[in-house]
Amino acid sequence: MASRSKDKNLVFLLVVGLSAWLIPGAGHLVLREKARAIIIFVTIALTFTIGLYVGSIGVVNPVEGKLAYAAQIMNSPMVTVLGRVTVNNHYSVFGKPYEIGQIYTSIAGLLNFLCIVNAVYTAHLQKARPLGSVKCT
Amino acid sequence: MHLITALTIATFTTPEKIGVTPLATLWLLPLAASIAVVYKATKVKKVKAADFFKESVVLFASIVVFMIITALVLLSLTWIVT
Repeated sequence: MASRSKDKNLVFLLVVGLSAWLIPGAGHLVLREKARAIIIFVTIALTFTIGLYVGSIGVVNPVEGKLAYAAQIMNSPMVTVLGRVTVNNHYSVFGKPYEIGQIYTSIAGLLNFLCIVNAVYTAHLQKARPLGSVKCT
Repeated sequence: MHLITALTIATFTTPEKIGVTPLATLWLLPLAASIAVVYKATKVKKVKAADFFKESVVLFASIVVFMIITALVLLSLTWIVT
């Protein structure tokens, strides 16, 4: 009985974590933190979009910018589609726009990673204590 | 409709023209703002518009001030060394 409850808890944490990764802010939405979810979604999507606008989609490059790509992929698994498009079509981008675009998209990814961890931790606390007594930390 | 779609896609397939000028450092401002907002979104206990805005602005200002101090320290270091 206890192990079944533990499994359910683990599945719930996985659902929260995966939804937070799939769409920024969705993890908090699952936890019924609507305002927080909207703020996170708008800010991260905007930061990522600014990065793409400044540097073009060429900044998402899994071949030439592996380290940045590792951070960019934390925005959403959909970034892999963008990476595939970039690699197949050889978008040339260099200099300052490349630098700024890569920094913006990478930071957006790392911010979403922070939100994923926060959502999973909050979900864990909600399960450990009765509902309503836990605030986001 | 197709023209709007094509133009929208085109803006994301060609990079903007940004020179290596002192003004380019202003690009840190929107980034600092988004870092402050997302960090505060995960930290505040209850999201209330006024409090949230105030805390985000304070964090944003702290980041910018710290960056300015760091820049000044680095500038004085290069002035001393060279």
